Amino acid sequence: MAQTDVPHVSVASERLQLVIEALSYASVDEFDSCLSLLQRSNEKDEFSELETAFSIFVRELGEAKAELNRALTQQEAANRELEAKLETIEMQQAAIRELSTPIIEVWAGVLCLPVVGVVDSQRSAEMTETLLETIVAKQARMAIVDITGIDVMDTKTADHFIKMARAVRLLGAECIVSGINPGIAQTLTHIGVDLTGVRTLRSLRDALQLYLRETEQLVVQQKSHFARRESEI
Amino acid sequence: MLREPSRNAEAGRLSTKSFPIRGRSDVVTVSSHAGRLARELGLDARRAMELAIVVSELASNIVKHGVRGEIVLTFDDHWPPQGEITVEAHDVGPPIRDLALAMIDGNDDQGPIDPALILRRGGLGTGLGAVARLADRVEYRDEEDGSKTITARFHRR
Repeated sequence: MAQTDVPHVSVASERLQLVIEALSYASVDEFDSCLSLLQRSNEKDEFSELETAFSIFVRELGEAKAELNRALTQQEAANRELEAKLETIEMQQAAIRELSTPIIEVWAGVLCLPVVGVVDSQRSAEMTETLLETIVAKQARMAIVDITGIDVMDTKTADHFIKMARAVRLLGAECIVSGINPGIAQTLTHIGVDLTGVRTLRSLRDALQLYLRETEQLVVQQKSHFARRESEI
Repeated sequence: MLREPSRNAEAGRLSTKSFPIRGRSDVVTVSSHAGRLARELGLDARRAMELAIVVSELASNIVKHGVRGEIVLTFDDHWPPQGEITVEAHDVGPPIRDLALAMIDGNDDQGPIDPALILRRGGLGTGLGAVARLADRVEYRDEEDGSKTITARFHRR
């Protein structure tokens, strides 16, 4: 056969064994152990060239792997940061939803819903839902919807506001709409909204005063009740 | 009448700003920006607020029905003579099947909304009606790529 003419290289099986071992280290990413095995022999022959080439390859592979790991770590950090930001955005959106319908219990059993900013149909539907739920949850007797901060409303949205006041009455509480400005007053009368059963007052202050006047009797009674109890103690 | 904004760019003062709509907070951002812009351009406070309401309704609709969308505010000082602000609400979402029907208060594009569902659907079904009442002109077009654009125009008076 032609192969018999080809020059042969003889290698001590020990050196061959070292290379095999080095390869197995490389296959499990143990590049340092692999390189130290390859550098063990001091022979200078054709097989040592293979060993040198192999060690160069392993070194480069090791560096590439390390680079990849660094990039992956950076990517993971960036991902974590992005997730944190998304979470913040979600929290802010929830906060905005909440702030768009702030309901304040200004007095025991008296809720106040100050409306500011732009009121569109969706926001007015949300306000109704939140106000009605809060009235039930807090067992409120009165809700004051203050729209001093609103200059303009679409007719249908204004109509919905008055319907909200009626829904409050259905729940057994009273609803006062305060701070209606001339523009909205015109809108409401223009579309012919039935305003019976809806109390409107000029300002939030007037609304609170009315409530206080009406409950004065109750407050006096409570005071005398507490006074009696204190004297008993 | 459809105009390409670029055609009038040299002739008059024209500015365009686009706002991506991804959630409720963007609705607030774009509508307050629109109100500010309108006042800067000399619309009276009432008209500026009406513009803000229209922008808010259109942006709310994108959040509610659209997959993703944007609001483009354009001010054109040249045409019509008194100048106008256009609000383009563009979104990738189901088309409005019947705009005339959807613009009737208490309807969506398929007809009257069951009052019992109003709270659950998060709106009164009067948004497009409000847009039609408050804007000077409203146009709707289905785009070739399946998206849609509602354009509301406000003339400076």
